[in-house]
Amino acid sequence: MNPRLDAPYGSLIDRNQPRSFTFEGETVNGYLGDTVASALIANNHWLLSRSFKYHRPRGPLSMAGHDANTLVQTASAPNRLAEELPIDLGEAVSGQNYVGSLKRDWLRALDWLGRFLPVGFYYRAFYKPFGVWRLWEPMIRHMAGLGVANLESQPPYRDKQYLFCDVAVIGAGPAGLSAALEAANGGAQVLLVDENTQLGGALTYHRFDTDVESSTTLLSSLHQQVLGHQHIRVLSSALCNAWFTDHYLPVLQGDRMFKVRAETCILATGSTEQHVVFRNNDLPGIVLCSALDRIIRHYAIAPEGDVAVLAGNDLAYHTALQAHDAGLSVTAVIDLRPSPDDETLCEALATRNIRLETGATVSEALADRDGLRLGNIMVSHLAADGSVAGERCRIACATLAMSAGFMPAYQLACQAGASLSYDDASAHFKISGLAEGLFLAGSVNSVHTLEAVCADGRNAARAALTALGHNADTPETVSCTARVNHPWPIFKHPKGREFVDFDEDLQIKDIVNAARQGYRDIQLVKRFSTVGMGPSQGRHSALPTARLIAKATQRSVTETGVTTARPPVKPELLGLIAGRGFDPHRHTPMHEQHLALGAHMIPAGTWRRPGFYGDPVHRERWIREEALAVRNNVGIIDVSTLGGIELRGPDAAEFMNRLYTFGFLKQPVGRTRYAVLTNEHGVVIDDGVAARLADDHFYVTATTTGVDRVYRDMLKWQAQWRLSLDISNVTAAFAAVNVAGPNARRVLEAAGCDIDLSAEAFPYLDYQEAAIADIPVRMLRVGFVGELGYELHVPSMMAHRLWEIVMAAGAPWGIRPFGVETQRLLRLEKGHIIVGQDTDGMSHPGEVHLAWAVNRKKPFFVGCRSVDIVMQQPLSRLLIGFSLSPDAPRPKEGHLVLKDGDIVGNVTSCEYSPNLDRVIGLAYAHPDDAAPGSIIDVRTDNGVVVQAIVTTLPFYDPDNERQTL
Amino acid sequence: MRGRPYELPIAQPPRLPCRYPCSHRVRCAPGSLTLSDLSLQRRSGLRGSDVPDWLVQQGLPRVDTPNRIEAAGEQQWVMALSKREFWMLDGNQTALEERPASVAVTPNAWPLYCQHSHVWWHLSGDDRAALMAKLCGVDLSEAVFPVGHVAQTQMARISVIVAHHDWQGVAGFSLFLDQSLAAYAWSALEDAMQEFGAC
Repeated sequence: MNPRLDAPYGSLIDRNQPRSFTFEGETVNGYLGDTVASALIANNHWLLSRSFKYHRPRGPLSMAGHDANTLVQTASAPNRLAEELPIDLGEAVSGQNYVGSLKRDWLRALDWLGRFLPVGFYYRAFYKPFGVWRLWEPMIRHMAGLGVANLESQPPYRDKQYLFCDVAVIGAGPAGLSAALEAANGGAQVLLVDENTQLGGALTYHRFDTDVESSTTLLSSLHQQVLGHQHIRVLSSALCNAWFTDHYLPVLQGDRMFKVRAETCILATGSTEQHVVFRNNDLPGIVLCSALDRIIRHYAIAPEGDVAVLAGNDLAYHTALQAHDAGLSVTAVIDLRPSPDDETLCEALATRNIRLETGATVSEALADRDGLRLGNIMVSHLAADGSVAGERCRIACATLAMSAGFMPAYQLACQAGASLSYDDASAHFKISGLAEGLFLAGSVNSVHTLEAVCADGRNAARAALTALGHNADTPETVSCTARVNHPWPIFKHPKGREFVDFDEDLQIKDIVNAARQGYRDIQLVKRFSTVGMGPSQGRHSALPTARLIAKATQRSVTETGVTTARPPVKPELLGLIAGRGFDPHRHTPMHEQHLALGAHMIPAGTWRRPGFYGDPVHRERWIREEALAVRNNVGIIDVSTLGGIELRGPDAAEFMNRLYTFGFLKQPVGRTRYAVLTNEHGVVIDDGVAARLADDHFYVTATTTGVDRVYRDMLKWQAQWRLSLDISNVTAAFAAVNVAGPNARRVLEAAGCDIDLSAEAFPYLDYQEAAIADIPVRMLRVGFVGELGYELHVPSMMAHRLWEIVMAAGAPWGIRPFGVETQRLLRLEKGHIIVGQDTDGMSHPGEVHLAWAVNRKKPFFVGCRSVDIVMQQPLSRLLIGFSLSPDAPRPKEGHLVLKDGDIVGNVTSCEYSPNLDRVIGLAYAHPDDAAPGSIIDVRTDNGVVVQAIVTTLPFYDPDNERQTL
Repeated sequence: MRGRPYELPIAQPPRLPCRYPCSHRVRCAPGSLTLSDLSLQRRSGLRGSDVPDWLVQQGLPRVDTPNRIEAAGEQQWVMALSKREFWMLDGNQTALEERPASVAVTPNAWPLYCQHSHVWWHLSGDDRAALMAKLCGVDLSEAVFPVGHVAQTQMARISVIVAHHDWQGVAGFSLFLDQSLAAYAWSALEDAMQEFGAC
């Protein structure tokens, strides 16, 4: 490792903590705080990766993670930016996108074949002659993509957190720091977000003046004030990756996504330095001026070999001066302009014996002997029109720092609806049309001198304070006349390879040819050429592309514009978007008891319910045994998931009568009644049982998954009808079990039920209130499974104890708990439908044999008009029962019912019935086939058609004698 | 799922009825966070236009602003969820075996079954708002959500009522949520507490 520069250089590294890692199998040494890229550069290793298309050698360009040149592979993931990857990651690192070795890439030949691979060649190639695509496809698939995904990698724990603030300041450069301080001093709660580990932005690496001390002092002062301010929360190493309406900002930091809700937002995102477009401008060793500044100031690295600087503005001179003062060998500054704006810079260079070439450009970069690093630059004269006018000299250098100007970091502002306009005088894009409560500060606002940047930050804060209703000082006058952008830093070379977009290996001719082929619109140019579609998202390519297209189409740059900025600003991990998964699931009060009994739990909406009790391998056996127990003895099922709604008040009966299809005005107190709910289209959407507890009190059950909708509908209708009643969703307040089977009455008597349970005193469909061991119980005599049965509804906190009591009381009879899958079989034997399973979005009462549950005499119920209309139409399908021999292929829910080869319906339920020793089911069939004994064709798995016999419903106990015992 | 070191030995996540012993508690680093289960404590609710007057007749405070909670005595509160829905919280009494009333107390004041429908947890500690920010999209920081305020919102994708009040002299959030979601919500809170040093 080369020796590092002495402090104060190296603000990010800790020289007392050496670290090492392996790159391409070789050990690389560095210090804590180094990134993979900085450590490699410190070891004079500039080659990090290979380019996407031509496999050209690539090294760092921005040192800020703003380009794809430094995408490397680690053991856990591909495409990680070496400039952001800490040296102490603990994983081996390698380059990517090569065949052979990074230094000797066999696919380097693609660079020489470039003339045969123009932009869009893949749109026109590979499909002729017919069938040849099959040969190309595997080859292209093999070459496509970058890096190798580690499918064994276990993602870390990632989550999300909301953050709330009055002012979110994005970017902690001099403008952001000034804005944050001003806003916080004005009384606002401020959140300061910056993607770097160190606050200060350009103040941490750039020398704004020949007087070094001024920027250092300012940084120290701002730093101290911000970190000590109680109203400022700082998030460093945090990326604000999008702007959404009302200043909803996703900020990524480590393994967490902060969802920031800000009242106002100040974007101090700075600007992105632009490269000069000349031949071979992508060679490792050619970097942006800001990158060389960072290498020196952040990492204390003095790159080996001579350094040259290509300047399109005065700021590049400061890079040259800083590099020289740090001890680097700066051989020349080549200025695209006739002279710098600040003449004192010439003196500063002269004092340091740095050669100055004005009115010139680097027309070509030449590689060293290995072809992997810059070796020389060819300097050429520039004519008055800005074109290359002839070679001037050749300069040997290993590092070239360049600056053609700056592009505002416009992404967040444009996501918020702002627009960009190009100012020909300054050759600069400016942002306008900001959303309410959104403000710009600093170089993103086209302000570049340090003093003006800080003042602009304070002004943005004052505007934000005013928007928040705080008192704020009068805005300062901000004036910045600095010209930082060269109007045409694009120099075509006869041999090409002048890269506009490094991510996609796009040269000048690629962009120009896109326009020549008719793609005049910048959006079409993007899609045809893929410019700006790489990881850097046009940070470096948007401006030169706009200029090239403007010139090629003879329009202004403003007319040409840039492509739409969409979230995210930088590539982000899907794991961060997902965060920690929240999957709410509900347990009944008896959940633990079910588990103790070996229940196989299955989802039912958001609930977890026992499907049956036993291991799922023997599912059929458990269901058979449970079903036989209910039919021949007694069983108990937890039905707490049933929805429960209470209607209380003088108009409760009137409300019920208007809502449900049946008549409820005359329902006696102490009786239950089947309740069917249709929507305005006459479609059956839910059903349940309505128990009348008092004249003004109904307790209505609803389906497990339908209760929320029913409750919502009730509230909606009540808002219109304004009847005198209260509606409460009491699903969570009451738990319930159904004790069913011939011995159910005996079990409940043994449990100590304090009422007469005889058929005379408590007949079928009655409702009574009782107590079992002091537990208040609402008892409904219902027959969903077709046996003598009692539904016991109890306050949730008491349900656990009720289950214990009933199980203990039923032990002498061998009471058996049964699950929801068994219940589905039992109700199927009785031909009882399940709304949602045996109905769909078109089912009206007539199709599902519920015409008896529709009161045609009452004046109104929800959906009555539609029900009248659809039930007057000829039926196009009918729900029928069918049966098959036990050894026939068993249809599944959803299998199609055919008639003469046409689809006429589908199977909705199908199970093997141990009581009947047949496969039984429900299906929609053609009405002509509904007569018992008819045959329907059902297409099962693999297209096997079985012929099922239409069977009268119910399959079991057709006279309903068992449930009325 | 991360490990769950408890202050007291609890074998399983909270669930009925073993959820109800008040000893069930998760505590974070000293002073940071404490999550306690108060579900045994008595709570009742009333809804209807007569309720505000009825409360006054009972000697309870009349809370005119919805989403507010006011003390009604030592460890007792009245919480207004709307202009016609109020919950009475009693930290002094337990009510495990109490039969829920369903008959109107006045022609327009209907009892609610909040003792059985909702669990009652209490979250205290300096980091309580930061913890809730991991689960809830409403700003519950002291400046925005001071003592006496109530929020009816979502936490980890389920409905929750958050009431900011003192419990045994310590400010914290009372959380009321559907009892069937208790195991899920408890694990979500417990998981969120890990970074605060749950122990």
